[in-house]
Amino acid sequence: MQSNEEQNNSRENPVKKLLKTAGNTMLVPFLAVLTALIVGGVVIAMVGGNPFYAYLGLFQGAFGSAKAWSETAVWASPYIFAGLAVALAFKGGLFNIGAEGQLALGAVVAAWIGYALPDMLGVSLPTIVHLPLAIGLGILAGALWGAIPGALKAYTGGHEVINTIMMNYIALNMVSFLLNGPMKDKSPGNVIARTPEIAESARFTPIFEGFRLHWGFVLALIVAVVVWWLLWKTTLGFEIRTVGSNPDAAKYAGINVKRTIILTMTLSGLLAGLAGVIEVTGLNYRHELGFSVGYGFDAIAIALLGKTHPLGVVLAAILFAGMRNGGTRMQFLTQIPVDVISVIQGLILLFVAADAIIRYIYRIRAREERLVLTRGWGG
Amino acid sequence: MHKKFYFVLAALMVAAMVLPACAPATADCASADVFCVGLVTDVGKIDDKSFNQSAWEGVQQAKEEGIADQVQYIETTDSKDYDKNIATFADAGYDVIVTVGFGLGEATNAAAAAYPDVDFIGVDQFVEWPFDDDPSNDLANFAGLNFPEDNAGFLVGALAAMMTKTGKIGSVCGTDAVPPVWRYGEGYRAGAAYIDPSVEVFVVYHNDVGFDKTFLDPEWGAATANSMIDQGADVIFGAGGKTGNGAVTAAAQRGVYAVGVDADQYYSLPEAAPRMLSSATKLITPGVLEGIKAAKEGNLPSGNYYGDASYAPYHDLENEVPAEVDAKMQEIAAALIDGSLKTNVPPVKP
Repeated sequence: MQSNEEQNNSRENPVKKLLKTAGNTMLVPFLAVLTALIVGGVVIAMVGGNPFYAYLGLFQGAFGSAKAWSETAVWASPYIFAGLAVALAFKGGLFNIGAEGQLALGAVVAAWIGYALPDMLGVSLPTIVHLPLAIGLGILAGALWGAIPGALKAYTGGHEVINTIMMNYIALNMVSFLLNGPMKDKSPGNVIARTPEIAESARFTPIFEGFRLHWGFVLALIVAVVVWWLLWKTTLGFEIRTVGSNPDAAKYAGINVKRTIILTMTLSGLLAGLAGVIEVTGLNYRHELGFSVGYGFDAIAIALLGKTHPLGVVLAAILFAGMRNGGTRMQFLTQIPVDVISVIQGLILLFVAADAIIRYIYRIRAREERLVLTRGWGG
Repeated sequence: MHKKFYFVLAALMVAAMVLPACAPATADCASADVFCVGLVTDVGKIDDKSFNQSAWEGVQQAKEEGIADQVQYIETTDSKDYDKNIATFADAGYDVIVTVGFGLGEATNAAAAAYPDVDFIGVDQFVEWPFDDDPSNDLANFAGLNFPEDNAGFLVGALAAMMTKTGKIGSVCGTDAVPPVWRYGEGYRAGAAYIDPSVEVFVVYHNDVGFDKTFLDPEWGAATANSMIDQGADVIFGAGGKTGNGAVTAAAQRGVYAVGVDADQYYSLPEAAPRMLSSATKLITPGVLEGIKAAKEGNLPSGNYYGDASYAPYHDLENEVPAEVDAKMQEIAAALIDGSLKTNVPPVKP
């Protein structure tokens, strides 16, 4: 596994080692993206568009201007958190499909703290108190929603895939009830299922005037580093990875496997909850039905494309964010249906998950060197 | 290593940079004498056989008639992109931006304030925001295209009252908290009463669920329509997205008359087409076209302006509709348009 590789290479120059590992690990995802873009280009040509012109629009829309960068980062922020959530669970040998529900609960709790707390306390709170409270309780809700399937897995053996999916239904319907009922914006004439706007003191401010990019993106990058540090530089991280690789070995090595499984799912839920929190406190300033739909599922693709490594997740999240964001400009310039983006994202996922295809294709072109350099999901 | 691979990659990148240069040149919308119209859909597809498609057809007609030099649309995939999608057109110098659907109202309002030189047409957007009483938000470059849904409901209600054999007709609607739905349902009731006050009218609004479900509940729509049919109703009017579609489809399966809503649903609900008597329609296409024409002449109908509501042809059931019923329908339609006949339905639920 990864830890063995690290030990074998430990005599090499650490920078060189890091670059080599990164290069090797990223090669298959990179080729998967490239292949998906080529196949996607054929699809675009088949529907009568010019693929190069389409991709130019996609690129311009995603990274072509300061505003495009800002919007891509806005899209990337929840993707990074949710991608880290799924990746962390993968490292612990767990498949968290529940990010969608954990995210929605985090969002709804953060919104509630954001709009209701000042009224309940009867005082307006300073940002330094209010915003951390909204974040803290929001991620607590996500963590709880992750911990339950974790505990079910640890103590009853109930499979986390089934349980997280079921927990999604409970969470999403609960949020739907709250937004239609107790938490609905009571302004006269409002028919939309949404909360009132959160107080100014519970908001992340934009980093630059006139752009929607907010400090939540910076927080996402910091959290990615923290997750990396947690996984590779702490005892807990070692335990998570060991349980993920081989629970039996972990048990005989004296690791408390049950506790580790629960902790992994709790942390994963916490990160997914943070994705919802950041959308409310940084971007939308309220929660509404229809906001942030599907991010928890996109996160699975992002975690896989990022090879479940925090750095990979950040890059994959920015790529997916760029495609979602640049799609507007691509449509605008070429009138190619935006669904092409979903096709390309699906192809990327296919090529990453079934990387034998990629290895097969590119081994023919570069026979002198084997490109089989990565392992499956668990890392 | 992998020399061939890098060669292919380099070739692709060069091609990517060179080929766009020979892509078709588009009109320069920033120029004063090039008139460009953009359309932003709500979360949904451009060919939805309903709102988005009808509005886009209006924009396309503007091009065919030579009013607009260039037309383009953007499909919204996530509601957080509303602002960005509108801004994409505005920043490219488009002269008129059409936004489709109630959901884009706030984003369109904000864009109208941010881009005072661009004209905005909001389909189904009531400009005086019920949750914002500040009149300074009523902007001169923002026109909300609305429809007298009560007229359309009145027409099909009258038709239903003339066509029923049991003396009982029904309507299955989404929540009456949405004013257009309320106007459809109450217009239907008023139209039936206008023809024959003794006709029994069942109007049921799907108020018992949340706003996210009320238009997306075809099972409830079908069950409600079936219970109305069990009570003797032989015309069912479905008004409320997929919920209404469920009612219309159920009615067609039971062999009673079905009446659709918004667009001519003979085309969008083929499974109900053989029993589709008519549809209560909003004439979105001419409404959008009219707004674009006015904007080109420099007098956008700021505030709210109203398109026409009507009823769709009888299609397969034409032979079942007696000539005097058809004549009466045309008479009512004309009277509603010239104002000599009023539905007396309040615009919102009191």
